[in-house]
Amino acid sequence: MSFSKSLVVYRKEMMELFRDKRTIFSSILLPIILYPVLFIGLTSLMSRQTKVIEKEGATIAIVDSVQNDVSALILKNLMTINNFQFMPYTPESDKLYEDKDVQGILSITDSLTIDQFAVYKVNLQFDKSSDQGEMLFRKIQNNVDSTRTILQEESLQKVQISPMILKILDIIQFDTSSSQKKMGKMMGSILPYLLVMTLLSGAMAVASDLVAGEKERKTLETLLVCSVHRNEIVIGKYMAIITFALINVFVNLISLYFSISYTFSRSGMELAGISFPINSMLLILAAFVPLAMLVSAILLSLSTFSRNMKEFGSYGGPLMMVSMMLAMVSFLPGVELSNAMALIPVINIALLFKAVMIDEYTITHFLITVGSTLLLSFAAIWASIRIFNSESVLFRGDDESSLKNVKKDKRNLFNPYYGMVYMVLALVALYYLGSAMQTKDLSRGLVNTQLLIILLPVLLVLRIFKLKPKEILRLKAPKPVEMVLIPFIAIPAAMIVSSLAGLINQIYPFPPGYLEKMSSLFTMSDNTWIVLLIVAVLPGICEEILFRGFLMRFFEQYGTKLSVVIVAMLFAAFHLDPFRFIPVLLLGLLLGYLTVRSGSIINSMLSHTINNGFAVVVSTYGTSMWIKPLLMDSETIKPLVLIPAAAIFAVALYMFHKVTTPKET
Amino acid sequence: MIKVMNLVKDFTQKDGSVYKAVNDASFDAQDGEIVCLLGVNGAGKTTMMRILSTIFSPTSGTAEINGYDLRKDPSKVRENLGFLSGDTGLYNRLRSREFITYFGELYGVPRDVIKQRIKEMSQLLDMEDLLEKKIEFLSSGMKQKVSIVRSIIHDPQVMIFDEPTSGLDILTARNIVSFIRDCKQRNKCVLFSTHIMREAERLADRIVLIHKGKILANGSLESLRTQTGQTDLDDIFVHYVNHSTDEKEVLANEF
Repeated sequence: MSFSKSLVVYRKEMMELFRDKRTIFSSILLPIILYPVLFIGLTSLMSRQTKVIEKEGATIAIVDSVQNDVSALILKNLMTINNFQFMPYTPESDKLYEDKDVQGILSITDSLTIDQFAVYKVNLQFDKSSDQGEMLFRKIQNNVDSTRTILQEESLQKVQISPMILKILDIIQFDTSSSQKKMGKMMGSILPYLLVMTLLSGAMAVASDLVAGEKERKTLETLLVCSVHRNEIVIGKYMAIITFALINVFVNLISLYFSISYTFSRSGMELAGISFPINSMLLILAAFVPLAMLVSAILLSLSTFSRNMKEFGSYGGPLMMVSMMLAMVSFLPGVELSNAMALIPVINIALLFKAVMIDEYTITHFLITVGSTLLLSFAAIWASIRIFNSESVLFRGDDESSLKNVKKDKRNLFNPYYGMVYMVLALVALYYLGSAMQTKDLSRGLVNTQLLIILLPVLLVLRIFKLKPKEILRLKAPKPVEMVLIPFIAIPAAMIVSSLAGLINQIYPFPPGYLEKMSSLFTMSDNTWIVLLIVAVLPGICEEILFRGFLMRFFEQYGTKLSVVIVAMLFAAFHLDPFRFIPVLLLGLLLGYLTVRSGSIINSMLSHTINNGFAVVVSTYGTSMWIKPLLMDSETIKPLVLIPAAAIFAVALYMFHKVTTPKET
Repeated sequence: MIKVMNLVKDFTQKDGSVYKAVNDASFDAQDGEIVCLLGVNGAGKTTMMRILSTIFSPTSGTAEINGYDLRKDPSKVRENLGFLSGDTGLYNRLRSREFITYFGELYGVPRDVIKQRIKEMSQLLDMEDLLEKKIEFLSSGMKQKVSIVRSIIHDPQVMIFDEPTSGLDILTARNIVSFIRDCKQRNKCVLFSTHIMREAERLADRIVLIHKGKILANGSLESLRTQTGQTDLDDIFVHYVNHSTDEKEVLANEF
């Protein structure tokens, strides 16, 4: 492998990219134009709009039901508001208000307090959703506030008390944060998100062109027959994507910085003395290089995998969504970078960015962030090299291999398309019927969901297509030794998975009421056996029949491994709960493995039941003596317990693997 | 020269079954000879060409290009091989000269040699005025000329043409045909694939018939005529296909 040939590839790709007006526009010109237009244009437009509204003023109908000198004073002061017109309230005023010719109806009322003190109220009817209404309220509020002060001072003077008594207690702020910190806090939450997004979209346009584009334009073959190693091609193209991604980040950063500075100085915010220390700027750039490397490698892999640019686009969308969700962490208040967080890509950069902006980062976090992202990006580069060297991927769905369609056997029920259709139908039924049944009566609803939505349709389909349930669903008794091992696999797995859910809770805090809703499942009956039956045994049987038994058959043509993964994903999606997606996905992978390995669904049913049962037991007996030593609080398992749990899990899984390995005869 | 020895290429399909795109194929092509790989669409021609140009690696068997084994020495094979196909795309945003130079550099040809060759070839192909133009503004005939220069910029001994005239108009196709003849004159070894019988008749010194991945016949047009007793190449082709054992099996299965 010679680097000089990679450079030849790199040089040519850069030349081509710089000649592509679209690329130049989207990754360089757009950010240069976008931010000034967005910030400066929008803010000046807004302030102009405010002025227009103020100039327009408002017309207000007035009812003075008090008619004394206080109300007279209030009215007198109100008259001083510029551009406001007042008219006495008449029966037509309501009609005028509806037609928006009158924007407010104001009435002054009074009442007596218990100690016979007259108090007044200015009642204002207006439309707060309109800009004019909001302006109207603000102006009147300020005006009434000043009238109140006058009245208070007058009353105090009457009883010969100094008006200063009103200022007997006050709060004075001493803000010790530097102006850099203030700006950093504001910019630290939006900037990382914007940067990650622009990095992705910039790199995506380039990556799409470099391999998927070459496939589409049929130039890839010519390149491959040259005396240049495929790894050299990958490296050259890879460098081009990184370069463009970084140019993109850089241009964005600079353009954004100038736009924000300009906006602040225009809006009169104190900006003097605020300057970005050059080293925090460099630190951010340094952290973005590994991310650019990672993103570029992932995109290059996707581009190599795709048959054409359109297909690449369809993979890019989900990738963008995931990164968006990760990057949004910077918006969340109170989430700070920790050692664990620094291991998660995108999230770590976003939080590091925030910390650098307010000058509260640690060098350890910086190193973990950069190091873990670098490691991941090396793995991703390795993957894209592997993909580029795999002819079945590089020429996926090309000429010869598409010929097999000619001798395709007749369609049977179990193909992926029907599998997805079934899944969608089941989801719809679950979403509409299931939740309706459960809101009526939780325990009966759950039983009905399992039996009528999950189990019954499977049995009906099998009946209609005259398929043998025993064979299709793998209803076969497992070996006793497998059954013995299952608890040793399922219980530690449940511990690990529930701790993972706890970790997710830390990153994306569950919405309020979420945990209460979850635990309401476990407390629906006083009889723990009934709860276990509804929450653990029934789902263990019915859901396993649907997923590991039935749905997995639809995806078998992709091979066993992939079908396990796909079904695990569907399984996770089926729970209609984004917070539990990853834990359920992992559980689904385990259950799929157990079924496929042993050829018996009983194992996964047992495992599933134990897993759900574990949650019931923990939430029911979480405070009793025998389980307490394992728990931190009523729900969380102690981290130290996880180590032996993981060890038991590993050993039991290994033994399961061994006993299920077919003996050679 | 090209020497193909018991070449097999399997493609594993999604359902796990194996499809033999090239099935135990052997033949050769000498320097100064034009050999035509003739077969219908899907016969395995492109797969064969892709194996010979090291894009695909064979499942079993091997081939030598100019004495280099494509399993052991793929980079040497690529250095000694020029590849041209009818539907290859070009980089539209490059100028013709940049495009050719890029490939020259990838082949490791020194810059001054690249310059010299571009000059010679563009005179020969009457395309000097195209060199500084961007490729996107060229007609398909002009593009094909650029592709020709690209394919021989490293002066390879063996030339492989995969369906070189497919999708081209008559005039452009004529350019290619005369270029293939020119290669022979300069004692290059030429292998070209086609499904057009007339093209094979006109150009080839020797015809290798391929069908469903298997080589059915190998010989000059004359010898194929005497073997089959047919004069027309179309009839010769059908004769061989009908007499292949494989085909009989398939027919038996279908009825």
